[in-house]
Amino acid sequence: MSLLKIQDVVTAYGKIEALKGVSLEVAPGSITCLLGPNGAGKTTLMMTVAGILKPRKGGISFAGEEIAGRAPHDIVARGVALVPENRLVFPAMTVLENLLAGAYQRGDKKAVAEDIDRMYARFPRLRERSAQHAGTLSGGEQQMLAVARALMSRPRLLLMDEPSLGLAPLVVEEIFRIIAELHRDGVSIFFVEQNAHMALKVAQHFFLIEQGRISFSGTPGALAEDEVIRRAYLGSAQQ
Amino acid sequence: MLADLIQNTLDGLSIGAAYALLALGFTLIFGVLRRANLSYGAAIMFGCYCATWTHLNFGAGLLLLAAITVAGTVLAGAYVERLCFAPHRGGSMIAAMVASFALWMQFEELVTLVMPTHLYAFPALYEGAPLAFGPYTLRVDALVMFGAAIAACALLWGTLYRTRFGLAVRAVTEQPAAASLAGINLPWVYVRVFALASAIGGVAGYLVVASHGQITPMLGMWSTLKGLLAMMLGGLGSLPGAVVGGLALGLLEAHSQWFLGPQLRDLIAYLLLFVLLAARVPWMHTRSAS
Amino acid sequence: MDFYFSLAQLIGVHTLLGLSAYIVLLTGQVSLAQAGFFAVGAYTAGMLTVLAGWHLVPALGASALSGAAVACAVGFPALRVKGLMLVIATLAFGEGVRLFFFNFDYQVAVDGIRLGPLGGEGFRQIRFFPENGWGTGEVMLFMWVFVIAAMALLWWFDRSRYGSVLRAVGEDELAAQSVGINLTAVKVSAMTVGGAIAGVGGGLYAHYTTHIEHSSFNILVATFAIAYPILGGLRNVFGTLLAVIFVQGFLVEGLRFMGDWRNLLFGALIVLAMNLRPSGFLGGRRRA
Repeated sequence: MSLLKIQDVVTAYGKIEALKGVSLEVAPGSITCLLGPNGAGKTTLMMTVAGILKPRKGGISFAGEEIAGRAPHDIVARGVALVPENRLVFPAMTVLENLLAGAYQRGDKKAVAEDIDRMYARFPRLRERSAQHAGTLSGGEQQMLAVARALMSRPRLLLMDEPSLGLAPLVVEEIFRIIAELHRDGVSIFFVEQNAHMALKVAQHFFLIEQGRISFSGTPGALAEDEVIRRAYLGSAQQ
Repeated sequence: MLADLIQNTLDGLSIGAAYALLALGFTLIFGVLRRANLSYGAAIMFGCYCATWTHLNFGAGLLLLAAITVAGTVLAGAYVERLCFAPHRGGSMIAAMVASFALWMQFEELVTLVMPTHLYAFPALYEGAPLAFGPYTLRVDALVMFGAAIAACALLWGTLYRTRFGLAVRAVTEQPAAASLAGINLPWVYVRVFALASAIGGVAGYLVVASHGQITPMLGMWSTLKGLLAMMLGGLGSLPGAVVGGLALGLLEAHSQWFLGPQLRDLIAYLLLFVLLAARVPWMHTRSAS
Repeated sequence: MDFYFSLAQLIGVHTLLGLSAYIVLLTGQVSLAQAGFFAVGAYTAGMLTVLAGWHLVPALGASALSGAAVACAVGFPALRVKGLMLVIATLAFGEGVRLFFFNFDYQVAVDGIRLGPLGGEGFRQIRFFPENGWGTGEVMLFMWVFVIAAMALLWWFDRSRYGSVLRAVGEDELAAQSVGINLTAVKVSAMTVGGAIAGVGGGLYAHYTTHIEHSSFNILVATFAIAYPILGGLRNVFGTLLAVIFVQGFLVEGLRFMGDWRNLLFGALIVLAMNLRPSGFLGGRRRA
């Protein structure tokens, strides 16, 4: 059984349909990557799964339960957390407060404190900056914070919208190292990426979305063999 | 001359404390909902009239009247939230504003229906002589008002920075989308912030009415305008700014009344606000309001 | 019959008020300054007919000019800000105008009687219509000439290139700017046209009530001005007219049998209308 199952989802902004019937599945324990050009509907799909946008049609089920149209906090409670595009940390709150906000629904103070320690162990820079306002962090540190904040809700599925956007290459490598680590710890990951080279190193399954529709689904091997995709997403970009 | 200046400053600070409370209520609602609640003052007026009615019919102590004012304001606030703000979440700012304006008219109409006299007496906070410090006098009710305003600010600060609810309020104010992704239930926060802001407005309304010793239906428009003015002077969306803006407005009014006369007092405040807004002074534009 | 004529007069004046806000709303700006322009027009026309002995028609021309001039002068600084900031800035301006007239004394002896604005007392005896022997019906027809002219003007604007430019700014300022539209010029011009319409409306208002005072131009009037086009929708000028008829004709007059409770229902119906149709009776496009 798949962990996340999206069926014929249509999401629209007014009259313009950004998703025109998207179907895909994410297997439990996997790292799945969604590739696609700008404006293809990647962010819209992530926001729809997380509940920020309501689908006009179609179904989304998570671990067998229907979540389409539910409120975002409800979806978080069921075990799906999204690291949004551009990170969206709370700039005038401290790093620690950002993490506490991520654990907002959890009543178990002791376990939350332990999780914060765990986050600080995984992201030592955050421990150093614990009392600092999140707005003063560098882009890479903010991305770490956004990931840590999402993990504070103890998600079973972590959604990430372009985690490498606007970050220096060294920081991007670190982000992907963390994705691999989280996966080893048992979190399923479904992320959007434009940087197909890096994504190829970690992801086990790829979807390509173009103009609001899924146009390719396959393994990294199949992706690399597809002539058109190779030219569009792997061709010129040399890292 | 210097004595007058100091006396005016004292007077300005005490009325400024009430303005600060009104501005805090506005700021809370604006910060979280990004909407201007035009019926905020009318809800406060409704709360104050609830207390006046109780006083006339049953007589009641000061504390009980204060409690009734706050309860009445919160009740009116809940009515406004349900009818004007809950239906327009994420929707048009103007639709919510027009709807809140319609409720303002309802509140004014309701109080004049039930209590048709234009002016009612309200039990004063303190009826003795003002305290004298050398050449200066300080009205005891002004002192109470100032003290209560500071206590309310401290309480609000504690709520916002020391509780789980406060964490949620600040998160929603800063990044509503990220807050809901963190698992915070936005409508739940909205409703509670509305109640909190109404309670603060109720306290402010009670203090103002009790220190004037009388109430008219104009209290609604007066509270809305003073609160908006003080909120804007201090910088839209900033809680410390609301307090500073309230005190600044009080000082401005006290001094301009002394130097230019009561007719020009209100005009000066609006003129200053208009000029500051149009000049786009930096502290007023810390948060985008569009 | 006189009752219906008076009602039509009231609806006419409020339609002008609503139309003055309508054109500004097309550019996506919410202005609470319209009551201020309305006041400027009212005092201008009143003083010209009463104190200077002008005929009403040129006096209304002067109202339009003064309303437009003030709107233009306010528009330049005010329209640098947007959204709620603009609402508050224009509110501050409108209240400033009201307080100005609250303090404005300018009385002159005409035929031995002191006439003219007298601060908080207001400006009484604006008696152009009765002195010239106009009946209610004639006054009503005279007023509706201006209402229909204003509606025709805005209707024509809407169909012209100017109208598309206004709506383009209202829909998306960045996009409008990127195709070479001068945002400030467009917004200020809309404000100026709105000021002229409000000015004429004020001039007519002063003459049919014969008595104006500062409180006739408070924030309630300003909010009514934007409430009409919002309730009616921004698709075209008829939405505004429809909303004025709904509010002044149906809610204020039609519900009179409800007695004292009318105004409570009045508020409830506006809220209901807003909740059922957030983009107005006649729909219309996205708003600010």
